[in-house]
Order: sequence, then C-alpha cells, then structure tokens
Amino acid sequence: MYADYAYLIVGLPVLAFVLCLFVGWHLPRGGGFLTALATFGALVISLGIFSEIYPDKIIHQSMPWFANFNVGILIDPLALVMLLMVTFVVTLIHTYANGYMNGDPGAARYFAEAALFTASMLGLIYADNLLQLFIFWELVGLCSYLLIGFWYRKPSAAAAAKKAFLTTRVGDVLFLTGIILLYNNMASLNLALKPGEYLLQFPVIYAHLAEIPPAQLTLIALGLLGGAVGKSGQFPLHVWLPDAMEGPTTVSAMIHAATMVTAGVYLVARMFPLFYAAPHGLTAVAAVGAFTALFAATMGLTAFDIKRVLAFSTVSQLGFMMAGLGIGAAVGTMAVGVAMFHLIGHSFFKALLFLGAGSVIHAVNTNDMREMGGVGKYMKWTMYTMLIGSLSLAGFPFFTGFFSKDEIIVIAYEYGVLINFLPYIFLVLAAVLTAIYTFRMWFSVFTGKERSNYGKHESPMIMIGPLVILAVFAFGFGFAAQSDFYSYLDSNFEHYDVNFEELSVIGGHVLAGEHGATEAATGEHAPAAEGEHGAEEAHAEPWYIQILPIIIAIGGILTAGLFYWDKIKKFDPSQVTGDNDPIRKMLLKGYYQHEILTGWFAEGVVYGTALICNTIDIKLVDGWLNWLSAWVMGFAQNIRKVQSGVVQNYVTALVLGIVVLVVVISLAKEVGLA
Amino acid sequence: MIPLELNILLASTMFTIGLYGLATQKNGVKLMMCIELMLNSANINLVAFSAYLPNVNGQVFALFSIALAAAEAGVGFAILIALYRLYGTIDLDNINAMRW
Repeated sequence: MYADYAYLIVGLPVLAFVLCLFVGWHLPRGGGFLTALATFGALVISLGIFSEIYPDKIIHQSMPWFANFNVGILIDPLALVMLLMVTFVVTLIHTYANGYMNGDPGAARYFAEAALFTASMLGLIYADNLLQLFIFWELVGLCSYLLIGFWYRKPSAAAAAKKAFLTTRVGDVLFLTGIILLYNNMASLNLALKPGEYLLQFPVIYAHLAEIPPAQLTLIALGLLGGAVGKSGQFPLHVWLPDAMEGPTTVSAMIHAATMVTAGVYLVARMFPLFYAAPHGLTAVAAVGAFTALFAATMGLTAFDIKRVLAFSTVSQLGFMMAGLGIGAAVGTMAVGVAMFHLIGHSFFKALLFLGAGSVIHAVNTNDMREMGGVGKYMKWTMYTMLIGSLSLAGFPFFTGFFSKDEIIVIAYEYGVLINFLPYIFLVLAAVLTAIYTFRMWFSVFTGKERSNYGKHESPMIMIGPLVILAVFAFGFGFAAQSDFYSYLDSNFEHYDVNFEELSVIGGHVLAGEHGATEAATGEHAPAAEGEHGAEEAHAEPWYIQILPIIIAIGGILTAGLFYWDKIKKFDPSQVTGDNDPIRKMLLKGYYQHEILTGWFAEGVVYGTALICNTIDIKLVDGWLNWLSAWVMGFAQNIRKVQSGVVQNYVTALVLGIVVLVVVISLAKEVGLA
Repeated sequence: MIPLELNILLASTMFTIGLYGLATQKNGVKLMMCIELMLNSANINLVAFSAYLPNVNGQVFALFSIALAAAEAGVGFAILIALYRLYGTIDLDNINAMRW
C-alpha cells in the first residue's frame, strides 16, 4: 500500500519547494515547517515501504518516457537504506534549521532550496535508470551551488559556490561520458528487450554487463568514478568541499556531510557489478579512496575553522567508504554492505557534529577554534552530544563509527593479504589521524580557558532536540543494526540477474568466488554461509588486526588530549612545530593545492591555453569572417555609386536593360534556345 | 483608312521623344510631360490595333488608360508642388536626399 505512494517521497518535498518559493515569506520562519513536514512525510512513506518489503522484496515501478528511456522507481535494499537515512537525517536537519535560520531575511529562499535539494537527492536514490539518476544528480549539484552561495552578498561565499559548481562539473562531464559510453555499448549488443525494459535501467545493465568488452567496461567505470570523485569530494576534485563551508551550517550538515556527498559513494555502490566486472575498476576506486582518506585527514589536523576540520573529516571518511567499495575486489559484494554501513553511520555522527558545530557557532559567533575554548561550561547539551559524535567518528569501541569504519580497515587487511597492503596502511594511518583531529577539535572547543569574549548561552530546544536524537543514533546504530545490515545489503544484488563469478573472471580478480580464496589466503577456515559472512569473515583475521582499530582510536584520542586537553596536557602544539615548520605550513596551506590548482594550473596552464585559443579564434576563425565582411563592404561601397539619385540615369539604365533583354531573347529565339 | 504602319510609326516616334525627354530633361514638369507622351503613344497603339482587328476592347482600355493618366498627372504634380515648397526648385538635380 505504501509502495503505491512511493512517488510522493519526491513529490512532497517538491510541493514544499513550490510553496516555500512562492508563499514562503508570508509564513512564519519562511515556511520552514513545510519543508520539515514534507521531509517527515517522505520519512513516513519510506518507513512504510520498509515495513512492506523488508527483508526480501523490492519495488520496481516504471513508465515510458522517450522511445529509449523511461522514468521509474527502484527501491531495493541499497536504495531503501539510503532513503531511510536521508529522510531521517534531513528531517532532523530541517527541524534544526527552523531554529538556526530563524530571523534570516532569506529564510524562505533557504527552505525552498533545501526542499528542492531533498527532493532531488531522494529522486537520485530511487531512480531506476542511469539517465534519471544523472538528472537528479545535476539537480543536487545545482542545489548545492545555490545553498553554498546562500549568503551571496559575501564574496567568499559566492566564490565558494562557483568553485563547487565548476569542480563538480568536471566530474559530471566524466560521468556523462561514462553514461554515453555505456549506452552505446548496450545499444550495440542488440538486446531483445522485453516491454518495459530499457537500456539504461539498472537491472538491464546488471544482466548484460558480461557481454560488454572489458576495455569498454574499464572506460565506463572510470567515467562513472570521475562523477563519483567530483560529487563525493575525492582527490583530486575534493577542493570544493572545504570551501563549501561558506554556506549556513545546516547546509554543511545536510549537503556536505550527511547526504549529498554520499551520492558519489552511492553511485559506485549502485554500479558495483560494473566496477567489479571492469578490470582495474575497483583498483582505481580503492586507490582514490585510500589516498583521499589519509590526504584529507592530514589537512584536518591543522585547520582552525571548526567547520573546515569537519569538512576535511568528511572528505576523509568518504575516502574510507570509497576504499571500502574498492576493496570489493577482494571480498566481493560484501564490500557494498561494509561501505554503505559506514555511509549510514557516518551520516548520523557527521550530521550530529555539524549541527553541534552550528550550535556552537550560533552562540559563539565565530568559526575559529582559536577564539573558543571552555564553551562546554555554557553548552552542556551541545558538548555531550558532540562528544558522542566525536567518539563515534574516532571509532571508540561500541560507538557506531567503531563498527563501520573499523570493518573497512579489517577487510582492507584481507585486501592486503590478497592483493596489496597499501590501502590498509593508508587507512590505518588515516584512522589514527581521524581520532587525533576529532579530539583536537573537541578539546579545544569545549575544554580549557575562554580564549575570547564570546556569547555564552545554550541554543534553543528546537536545535538541541535533533542533536539528542542524532546522538542516540550515532551511539547505538552501529551496535543495533550491525549484523542485519550486512546481510540485508548483501542480498541487494540477489534480486537481479547478475552473475558475480562470471564478472570476477572478466575483471581478473584474484578470487574465483567470494570466499574460497579468502580462506586459502588467510589459511583459516571461515564459515562460508551465504549472507552472514559480514560478521563471520571478520573473525578470520589475526587477533591483532581485530584489536588494532581499538588501540588506534584510544591512542589517537589520548594523543590529542596530551596536546589540547588542559587536564592532561603535556605538550604545547606550538612548541612541537614552530610557525615556520615546513610540514605544518604545508598542511595548513592544504598541500599548496590552492597554489597549484589556481596559481599553476588555472592561471598558467588553463589561462595559457585559453590565450592560444583566443588568438586562434581572433586571427583565424573571426579573421576570415572579418575579411569576408570587409570585402563585401568594400564591394558595396563601390557598387552603391549606382544609386546616383539622378532619375535620368535610372531611366537610361532601364531602357538599356530592356534593350539588352530584347536582343538576348530574340537572339535566343533565332538559335532555337527558347 | 490610315494604314496601321503609320499609326505604329506615330506611336513609336512619340514614345521615343518621350523617352529621350525623360533621359535628358531635369525639370520635373518637363518629365511629367514626357511621361504623358509615352503613355499616349501606348494609347495610340491600343486604338490603332483595335481598329485594325477590329476589336473594341483596345479602345475601352485606351479610355481606362486616359483616366489613369489623369490621376497619375494629378498625383505627380501634387508631388512636384510639395517638392517645390520644400526645396524652392523642381530641378531634380538638386533634389537628392535619397541618394547615397
């Protein structure tokens, strides 16, 4: 019954968007309650659908659009968990935003854009074909642009919005290239499609992957990965994400932490069979993810802006998810469950951290952690909810992040045993840094002395409420959902006609099947029961691999404490690294990416190329056109003398013309031409 | 009865005189007169052929043509008067505002 209303999951937020846009400023708080209610409606429908189809059904509705395309709704386990997470987290964030945006003159615009964003994100999730997904993908990008530039009178916000739009555009072009390639390849297979089947529908793609040439598969996979890298802020297209913190904090929480940036990870998970089949497809995913995880974590260490710390942390955690998917080369579809688990868990605690940071900023009126300190005395609720979020992010035992992130590290070890240890090393280092920078932030904001004279009050209950709910999930979700989640996500591709063994041969993976080689390689016997290897396989690792994440988390937190917690402070950060320390400078400057990308690449390479193109354009393309028009004008200058204005000349010309005509026609008659 | 050839000869002589005048004269009134000459040469042709065939249509057309010529002369002289008021002359060499 709820399934019949699946279209309303997108429909309600769209309705809220229209209402807020046109009548928002007549309503209290810019009509924010409409957006929150619409999202809550979507959450209710999603929950209803969950109760109907869990654990072994999927919903697939579709209607024709163009000759070769359709619009459709596909809710399988993968889409369902995303729908639930997005509607849930976004409902809380919209509620919180009702307090946070209160009094902003653009509140109606904010809530309209936020509603549109919610609609497009949800549409992206349950699209049943790649084209539809791409359309919503672009809409999400647009909303991101609008919301980052929400305070568009601030030059830095306008610049950040532009940067985000252009950077993700690079990825989107690659994504579109991938879609076109995939479509061409699918079309050239000359499939006998049943009525209601279309070339770009996911089930159709899954079923016919094995027939596409492997080289083409790799190209397609790299194209799609490009899109995912752009949207999920992976290296080298991550530069927009930290700058995107110029938007309101709710935007950062909603778009740049919990939901939108996960679209890239979701895309890779959605197209997992394709990446699996493509030789080097998953290797590229793992490489990008593991590198980004460490790379962003190092930058998170030095940032002073509380939101930028969280932004780098987001980039880093997205890297973990990507790496988790890429590790699927060693463990098969199980990687989807592991990565998605981290995605969902991360969205809870990262939304919590961002909203908590927003609560702090709301009271303190600065983003700079150097001006905070001791905030915890005045904001108990914010402090303890953020502590839960930070512990979860750091991977402290029995918090959500512990179950999700550390599972990725553990299977990265398996990947290491089978293929390559680099991702494992990168991820472990990144996890250490994660614990350190998270608690550097928490200690320096909430403990110690007050470093400036800031506003000392707790935020209103409408903001604290969502924090508390999110804190409950950030703490308990991992423990509660762990085993069911893996098996449910594992069943995702069983609904489709996709043969992973065949695909793994095409992809040239070390494994013949999902489990055999794992056991052979680790030399231990893992129970290979289908559907529950998530928890089981983890036990196949040596004990120190199991224990390592816990040591990492606690060690990292203690290290941060030694530097930043006044109770156990042993070192002064400024003494360990002077202001001119090259490494510190490099991290603070974000590896000179701005200098490299803007100074060298944009102003040197791109501008230089543009100059050459400009010259060619002016001299050659415009040149011959200008020459032609100059010639025509010169010719006209001469020929217009004929218009002498002397009637007598006209008469003479007329008569002469007639005479000539008469002579010519009579001559033609003579020789028999006419 | 006057032979057809003489009629045609008269008409073409008149036409040529009119054309010559049109091509050489500068005075607007003279031009109007030349145009009338050419028009009437055509009328002579119409009447001559009408009598020669014999077919009354030609003479009817000549009547139309005369009426038309009268109207044309009215408009033409009205334009000339307007030009005179504007430029103080009807010498067409001096009236060249529409020229390049």
